[in-house]
Amino acid sequence: MIFDYETLKFIWWLLVGVLLAGFAIMDGMDMGVGALLPFLGKNDAERRVIINTVGPHWDGNQVWFITAGGAIFAAWPAVYAASFSGFYFAMLLVLFALFLRPVGFDYRSKLDDPRWRNTWDWGLLVGSAVPALVFGVAFGNLLQGVPFHYDDIMRPWYTGGFFGLLNPFALLTGVVSLSMIVLHGATFLQLRTEPVIADRARQAAGLAALVFIAAFALAGIWLAFGIDGYEIVSDRPHGALPVPVGKEVVVAAGAWLENYSRHPVTLLAPLTAFGGAALALLFSRAGRPGWAFFSSALVQIGTIFTAGVSMFPFIMPSSTHPGHSLTMWDATSSHLTLNVMFIAAVIFVPIIIAYTSWNFWKMWRVVTVKEIEEQTHLAY
Amino acid sequence: MWYFTWILGVLLALSFGIINVMWLENETCLDDEECEGRGD
Amino acid sequence: MLDPDFVELSRWQFALTALYHFIFVPLTLGLTWILVIMESVYVMTGKQVYKDMVKFWGKLFGINFALGVTTGLTMEFEFGTNWAYYSHYVGDVFGAPLAIEGLMAFFLESTFVGMFFLGWERLSRRQHLIVTFLTALGTNLSALWILVANGWMQNPVGAEFNLETMRMEMTSFAELFFNPVAQVKFIHTVSAGYVAGSMFVAGISAYYLLKRRDLGFARRSMAVALGFGLASVCSVIVLGDESGYEAGEVQKMKLASIEAEWNTEEPPAAFTLVGIPDRDAMETHGAVKIPYVLGLIAKRAIDEEVPGIKDLMKENEARIRSGMVAYRAMTAIRGGRGTEQDRALFDMYKKDLGYALLLKRYTDKVVDASDEQIRMAAKDTVPDVGPLFWTFRAMVASGFAMLFLFVVGFVMMARRRIEKHRWLLRGFLYGIPLPWIAIETGWFVAEYGRQPWAIGEVLPTFLATSSLTKTDLIISISGFVAFYTVLAIIEFYLMFKFARLGPSALHSGRYHFEKAAGGAPTLADAPAAARKD
Ligand code: HDD
Ligand code: HEM
Ligand code: HEM
Repeated sequence: MIFDYETLKFIWWLLVGVLLAGFAIMDGMDMGVGALLPFLGKNDAERRVIINTVGPHWDGNQVWFITAGGAIFAAWPAVYAASFSGFYFAMLLVLFALFLRPVGFDYRSKLDDPRWRNTWDWGLLVGSAVPALVFGVAFGNLLQGVPFHYDDIMRPWYTGGFFGLLNPFALLTGVVSLSMIVLHGATFLQLRTEPVIADRARQAAGLAALVFIAAFALAGIWLAFGIDGYEIVSDRPHGALPVPVGKEVVVAAGAWLENYSRHPVTLLAPLTAFGGAALALLFSRAGRPGWAFFSSALVQIGTIFTAGVSMFPFIMPSSTHPGHSLTMWDATSSHLTLNVMFIAAVIFVPIIIAYTSWNFWKMWRVVTVKEIEEQTHLAY
Repeated sequence: MWYFTWILGVLLALSFGIINVMWLENETCLDDEECEGRGD
Repeated sequence: MLDPDFVELSRWQFALTALYHFIFVPLTLGLTWILVIMESVYVMTGKQVYKDMVKFWGKLFGINFALGVTTGLTMEFEFGTNWAYYSHYVGDVFGAPLAIEGLMAFFLESTFVGMFFLGWERLSRRQHLIVTFLTALGTNLSALWILVANGWMQNPVGAEFNLETMRMEMTSFAELFFNPVAQVKFIHTVSAGYVAGSMFVAGISAYYLLKRRDLGFARRSMAVALGFGLASVCSVIVLGDESGYEAGEVQKMKLASIEAEWNTEEPPAAFTLVGIPDRDAMETHGAVKIPYVLGLIAKRAIDEEVPGIKDLMKENEARIRSGMVAYRAMTAIRGGRGTEQDRALFDMYKKDLGYALLLKRYTDKVVDASDEQIRMAAKDTVPDVGPLFWTFRAMVASGFAMLFLFVVGFVMMARRRIEKHRWLLRGFLYGIPLPWIAIETGWFVAEYGRQPWAIGEVLPTFLATSSLTKTDLIISISGFVAFYTVLAIIEFYLMFKFARLGPSALHSGRYHFEKAAGGAPTLADAPAAARKD
């Protein structure tokens, strides 16, 4: 094996981050577009234009989400098990919302009836906005710690309810993630639509960027002063067998900011998020959609790594049994599995990026109302 | 090795479909309203 | 101890969502290849009608595909949401094929499926054919990896229990991938999908032939479906036989239950064609037997015994007892009181640890289970014979019915008589449900026959659940049922609508309803390539 266990565990922490960032950048783009659909498209032709900007891409984009789920299963099985079953109804909410997307995209334009189409437009809005919101809420809860513990056969038990998840801080992080996705969709639309829609998208991007900056700053202040972080005090070698129980963890105010003072380079993560949002705003105003889109991609990366760095090495802290918290050192798979999956990722991710680029390159164009009206039976 | 068998099998089944329709295309007329039923 | 009703509900939810997902999956698996065939012919001959065929069948494929994706999402997360202990216990092994499925297959199919639908104007003919091919390849690779995962649940090779981490861990990825059960399961299942795709195209084409509409279009589609379907139905049957043989090797109890073979019989073992299995009396009433056949299926020999349920149960009782030894040693070692001897005992018996876990249904203190409890646990290792016996026969019967249809159809088409035999065309039309009957009953046989294990001989199903409540599950099942019912109604409505409409749905002006409506251009106005030459 190329890497020792400890290094590989860290690589997988990075890789999961990369997959989540890939998800936000790729799927965030069509989720943002979906969330804006009923507002930016004033009539059927305009809405079809908007849908067709992501028509050939949304399904491939969504696989970033599916693969992130699969990768967490393979690399951090304990996290997959404890978080998905613990956040049961939140997961179901995401699922049921996501159901509306494939059907919405594929079926909406198959029938002419305006009521049918209008219903699916709202379905696409729900299918895009709700998952974005819930992911933010989930991160907000991870940052506060989740009530769960293990029994003697290492069975996870979640002891909280569903409505507890909807606390004010988590709702704020929900706003962070929703606004970042809407920003992303709005910058993408500027690239792929004609002036009428692109102008509306520009305004939407400006608004979303401002909301994002405000919510992100507020969440940061709250995290620094209002929320206790977690810290491991007992030491166990990072390369040890992954057993998530039996360590000593303390809960302390400001602990989530420790990593930033210890390794100031990590400050790059929140700075990228802030800077990206500001640039996306400016470039949108200046009519430079390409740069705006690029900046908004930086927002996605910055935000996700901010959450990751703040909690590092924790992934899912336990508020009731801090010693049972899941960290990226002790919730992982075996050395062999991490290695196999690392090789798979090294082989396939470049291939995926290559053909995804081909797809975007071939299908790239400004979608116009004229084109849509000519190809009634071809496009979505 | 069954996986290997699968690769060959799919290719075989695909060519079966292709050859069947191409053969009929050449041997009979497929478009005319009546000709397939005639059984000449 | 877990509430048995809660376990039942978890199983119901999984069964409902998986069986529902698998209504759409097989059509995707088969139809994508059929599209590849049609488009290859288009690229070779340049005839417009083949392009129309790809577009029309592609439309129906799209309606199906949307629900395949939708319901697949549920599956990807359901292991975590509803089988948390399962995910924790075997995620180290089981997660890997699932993640690779995403990387290698889902990305491929999903990226190219968008170009398949929307890329007609933007790609050259060859490029578009490659896109169609890669979509088909992607769907099949997805089947490959999910069936590697599922094959491992049936026959958990390449993994070992780790005492420190209290879970199964991978010892060899190659063994996992080359698992013989996974290999036959893969071909059997994808071939089943090819059969489904072929029956679908053949059945709908038969409908047009019966209505005498769009004959050129329908005959060509029929020819493609018959060629591809005939090859596939042979494959599914051969590999079905091979599946039975593999089950005879690694899942003897499943095979014995499918065959309702209560007692080990003197070789050569006979095959019970029909009969009424009686679970309590442990015998089959009114059995009609065919000599030799079971021996041939299970052992490829007529002079070897096929062990019966009662004997297998006795064996299992012994394994529960040795599993208890391993469990006692494990508790001692984990409690820090373990001696060298405990280690040795554990290593010797750990392959039976899963059997000891079966006792958790009756007692939390596995080590002092009573003889009565051990006997009950041993009895639990027998799946419910009746339903298995019948569903298996339903699958096999549909398989042979379709073999008949494809052989006769193929011969008749070659002899240009197929349209004379309206009964045959009707057979194809009304036979469309057959592959789905075989497929759903097939999964039932495979999964229900695996009970009581979630992971064969490693992890009992009742332990594998999440720590939720009955109310949680009642809410989620109701949600799934409601949602899935609405989606099914919408999809069936669209599917029937477009299938009835036929190629006129393409609005090219070349087909039946548009010609009939007048005004629109007719075949004569179509490009020369579309007409017969
Ligand atoms: C068109 C569909 C279809 C058809 C015609 C058949 N099957 Fe099948 N069968 C399936 C669709 C299927 C399936 C859905 O694909 C299953 C479920 C799990 C699997 O691997 O394949 C299956 C499972 C399955 C199993 C259980 C395998 C296991 O548990 O590991 C056996 C023994 C057979 N089949 C045997 C047969 C035989 C002898 C057939 C002879 C005609 C047959 N099948 C036709
Ligand atoms: C999509 C095709 C599939 C169908 C139709 C199917 C069908 C079923 C059915 C009917 C059950 C209920 C058995 C029972 O409890 O009585 C079940 C359970 C289960 N299946 Fe499958 N299955 C499919 C694929 C898979 C695959 C590919 C996997 C794993 C990779 C899998 C894993 C499970 C698990 C974990 C359970 C729950 C535990 C259990 O009850 O056994 N299934 N499935
Ligand atoms: C129970 C385990 C399973 C899981 C977790 C699962 C997961 C998924 C997911 C997430 C998708 C959506 C992919 C996309 O967005 O494009 C999907 C679709 C698909 N799955 Fe499954 N799946 C399971 C069982 C199976 C089995 C047993 C097969 C084949 C033998 C299969 C074959 C397919 C195919 C061909 C698709 C393409 C979409 C369609 O159905 O039309 N799946 N699956």
